[in-house]
Amino acid sequence: MHPIVGNRARLWAYLLAWAPVGGLLAVRVAASNVPVVAALAIGMLGAYFAAFAFLSSFYLCRAMPIHTSRTPVMVGTWMIATILMGLLWAAGVNLLVVQIGRIYAPLQGIRLHLLASATTGSTLYLLTVAIHYLLIATDRAREMVRSEQEQRVHAREAELKALRAQLNPHFLFNSLNSISALTSIDAKRARQMCVLLSDFLRRSLKLGERTSVCLAEELELIQNYLAIEEIRFGTRLRIELVSDPEAEAAQVPPLLLQPLVENAIKHGISQIPEGGLVLIRTRRFEDFVEVRVENPVDEDAGTPEGLGLGLRQVKQRLEGRYNARTRFEATLQGGGFRVLLIFPLETESPERRLP
Amino acid sequence: MSPSGTFTVLIVDDEELARAVVREHLEAHPEIRILGECANGFEAVKMAAELKPDLLFLDIQMPKLDGFEVLELLDPQPEVIFVTAYDQHALRAFEIHAVDYLLKPFSEERFEEALAQAKNRLSQGRPVPVEAATLSASAKAEWPMDRIVVKDGTKVTLIPLATLDYIQAQDDYVLLKTPEKGHLKHQTLASLEKRLDPNRFLRIHRSFIIQLDRLARLEQTRSESWMAVLKDGAKLPVSKSGYGRLRDIISIEI
Repeated sequence: MHPIVGNRARLWAYLLAWAPVGGLLAVRVAASNVPVVAALAIGMLGAYFAAFAFLSSFYLCRAMPIHTSRTPVMVGTWMIATILMGLLWAAGVNLLVVQIGRIYAPLQGIRLHLLASATTGSTLYLLTVAIHYLLIATDRAREMVRSEQEQRVHAREAELKALRAQLNPHFLFNSLNSISALTSIDAKRARQMCVLLSDFLRRSLKLGERTSVCLAEELELIQNYLAIEEIRFGTRLRIELVSDPEAEAAQVPPLLLQPLVENAIKHGISQIPEGGLVLIRTRRFEDFVEVRVENPVDEDAGTPEGLGLGLRQVKQRLEGRYNARTRFEATLQGGGFRVLLIFPLETESPERRLP
Repeated sequence: MSPSGTFTVLIVDDEELARAVVREHLEAHPEIRILGECANGFEAVKMAAELKPDLLFLDIQMPKLDGFEVLELLDPQPEVIFVTAYDQHALRAFEIHAVDYLLKPFSEERFEEALAQAKNRLSQGRPVPVEAATLSASAKAEWPMDRIVVKDGTKVTLIPLATLDYIQAQDDYVLLKTPEKGHLKHQTLASLEKRLDPNRFLRIHRSFIIQLDRLARLEQTRSESWMAVLKDGAKLPVSKSGYGRLRDIISIEI
């Protein structure tokens, strides 16, 4: 998008700003004994010819961003462009003056000194380029602020939804149904499941109130969750959790991992008659933490397209908190599904509360 | 139901404990004979076809086939009581004339009520079989279809929609054509069409629905007469109205 043409207010300001330039040019022309009217006409012609012709400098500006282009290339290109555009400007204005001179008496017989005028043209061109760069930079900064705000809004929405969804009603109903079955088969286990379920609810409500929890607390919560699912699914659900103690101090958004494990059971284990293994692994490397959750999937079932809501929210929450310093990968491969999270190891809880 | 008033049931649920609750409630009824229990959709179709129970206790979300798919593959269809933790399928269940819809966990009273209704229906004689068409049409947008189930003898095949090239009507059957082979299913093309995503599948002829991304080009055979050429080279006739629909869609994409 052109930073001037694409914005009506800027375009007017830009055109208006060329009027004094035209005045200055007129003063310069008048100095060489040209009548005032003619000088003013030539000045304005020169200014507005430049105004329109030099808008094209945007395309060069865009091709050579000021921060990323190599200096020699930039200097070389701009030198050539400046000389060429200066000459083009002088020739163009001269042509206009000559043509208008044929029908407008005050300009009759006036010719421009091409080389001297080209210097003026080049100066004007460089000025216009500077303005373009400035406006492009302004637009970029504004765009960055906007996208950052957008990301924060997304993250906040995801936070709210995650907190609301912390209690998946179907999980609750199915668990209660298991308890209902156990009461007559095995009263002790029924009681045990009541306790596990209460623990899980209490814990997730507590964690959900905070903006940041440590990974160890998250792992306790999912172990609690998995203990309940183990009763429901019996031998179909096997669990392997390998946690790196060095990673466990990391601060993360609350209830970040639970959706991953829930997903592994809902779309993995529960869809396979013989069940399978849910693998959870945490690892610290350098200043980052890696969390990985793997589960088998039923290969015969049609594979769903894209990420489900739960996983998408995890991704958004990570990005909202760590910006570009995080990675989220979900891969479906060879009968298995794997989610990989990487985020910075921060042991201090961020002060930033949700706005 | 036999003249003596006894009847047979099959319990279908992937969770052992969920089956146990149903079994326990049924034990109080000597007139009921439990033929067996199934832990997934495939098993359910196989056992129901073999043992022909009068009544099914059927979970919806299960491995392999969901409860509705199981029902779609059974002929004759037994009476069915759905037992699930999800309340959003209740409407669909009643549209296909399910006896009842029990939400987990349920009380003994609620269970007895459902069972009494089932007995009532069974004593009135043969249930009216629900057509695959009705079953299919009962699926609403919140339950989008992503695969088609086909039963050939005792073998059940799941055909993901993404693998379909085209679907052809053949009398009372539809031929589901994938790159490997064609599957026949007892259903009408019109009823199947209702469940397909119109952005992906298009009726190009009275007897043909194609998957749009399989279309390579249109070929004019005579004036006003067109053929759809698929990427694998198959040529299918295009009717006048089919051509109109195709042109609309193709022009949107450009």
